[in-house]
Amino acid sequence: MNDVVIELDHVGIAFASQRSLGGGRYWALEDVSLQLRRGERLGVIGRNGAGKSTLLRVLAGILVPDRGTIRRGGVSCQLMSLALGFVPHLSGRDNAILSGLLLGLRRRDIVARLPAIHAFSELGDFFDKPIATYSAGMNLRLAFAVAIQVEPDVLLIDEVLSVGDAEFQEKSGAALRARMGEGHTVVLVSHDEKQIAERCDRVLWIEHGRSVLEGPRDEVFEAYHRDLHHPPEAA
Amino acid sequence: MRLHLVELVLFSTYAELRAEAARSYLGLIWWVLEPAMMMGAFWLVFDVILRTGGPDYVPFLLIGMTLWQWMKSCITHGGYAIWGSLPMVRQVRLPPLVFPLIAMLSDTVKFACIFVLLVMILWALGYPPNAAYWALPIVFAAIFLAAAGAGFVISALVPLVPDLRFVIEQVLMVVMFLSGVIFPLDKVPEHLRWVMALNPVAVVMDDARGILLHGQLPNWIGLSKVALISVVLCAGGVLFVQRLAPRFPKLAN
Repeated sequence: MNDVVIELDHVGIAFASQRSLGGGRYWALEDVSLQLRRGERLGVIGRNGAGKSTLLRVLAGILVPDRGTIRRGGVSCQLMSLALGFVPHLSGRDNAILSGLLLGLRRRDIVARLPAIHAFSELGDFFDKPIATYSAGMNLRLAFAVAIQVEPDVLLIDEVLSVGDAEFQEKSGAALRARMGEGHTVVLVSHDEKQIAERCDRVLWIEHGRSVLEGPRDEVFEAYHRDLHHPPEAA
Repeated sequence: MRLHLVELVLFSTYAELRAEAARSYLGLIWWVLEPAMMMGAFWLVFDVILRTGGPDYVPFLLIGMTLWQWMKSCITHGGYAIWGSLPMVRQVRLPPLVFPLIAMLSDTVKFACIFVLLVMILWALGYPPNAAYWALPIVFAAIFLAAAGAGFVISALVPLVPDLRFVIEQVLMVVMFLSGVIFPLDKVPEHLRWVMALNPVAVVMDDARGILLHGQLPNWIGLSKVALISVVLCAGGVLFVQRLAPRFPKLAN
């Protein structure tokens, strides 16, 4: 029963606190441990500045731990990034290819998915016009249509669940739910507890860069709420 | 994985060139017009006003400036590439070397266009293509390796110490004047000439002019030394970037 795909053991990440000679460091992550199993949908909760996004970047392999260890069993992890590498003067089509390549797709795979991207983004003839001519909403639709095509073994999501107008929000939310329901391994970071409660089966709670509790969703939420309403200092 | 990176670098190069052409009204014309204006300025100052030129000054200057612009843009654009891409480096896991490579490749495509134009101008000035042209790719390879090596080293340093940007332009200007780009090095006083001879940029400039103007093959020993230095510099630059790679995602530009 060894289906752990990523394991963090007392991981810490330090950043330089300012750009000057002899400036100190601060630990954005102090001490986080977690085990991610295949097919699991893990939600990460915690207050602002708890280190949730930093944790995702560690899982994605972008940040290398300054202390502690990370073990990963030959899986591809990708942070779901919207509009990654978009260039204003290129057409929607070229930007889709560029962004797809940056997100780790092979060119032939993106080209094969271009019709799907075109259809999902609802851009019509604008797909072949420079994205500098797009409205913010069109830009987001294209960005989401590209991002949803990426299928890593482990999908990492940082608060990009729904974008655009109400109608497209529904559509993008549904696409993402479908993606998460396909049995993929997913890590989801969000302020919105409702989204995590709806979509995740396990939850990790982190506070001040430390993992406080990891376990089944309801158990962690209960402890989290007890703490929110009765913080230890006030008790 | 490797093939994916090759596709990424090639498509990004295409994207960068395409976007650059689309950004201005004259588009592609600027690739040629900008260096042409610069050459015009140097010709005005050094030949017309200061009269330091000489009979062959115009072809001398054209070749020098064309090659130097290519080197310089590879060094600076490549050198600033990781720094300029930090927002992306924070978002996605990629070998940071791809960013300087993309910049250098697109500058090389531009150089190729300008070089074709240069050959035509030289022909019109009475220097037709000659049998020694076969050696040009070798000289160009040495130039590219040297520029890429310097560019990689700088690209690793600028994200950590952005202040370097203020120094690099000035240093490159001095290197340009010391490399026989604008005026021939035989104008340099005798007792300083040995310093100039050590400069690899001056060696490749001489070799390229020998081929293009006089049908003269390069001094192979001198060129081998330059190539060797360039290969070492390039390998060092690549290792340096890879060594510092874990630090880039933590930086802001």
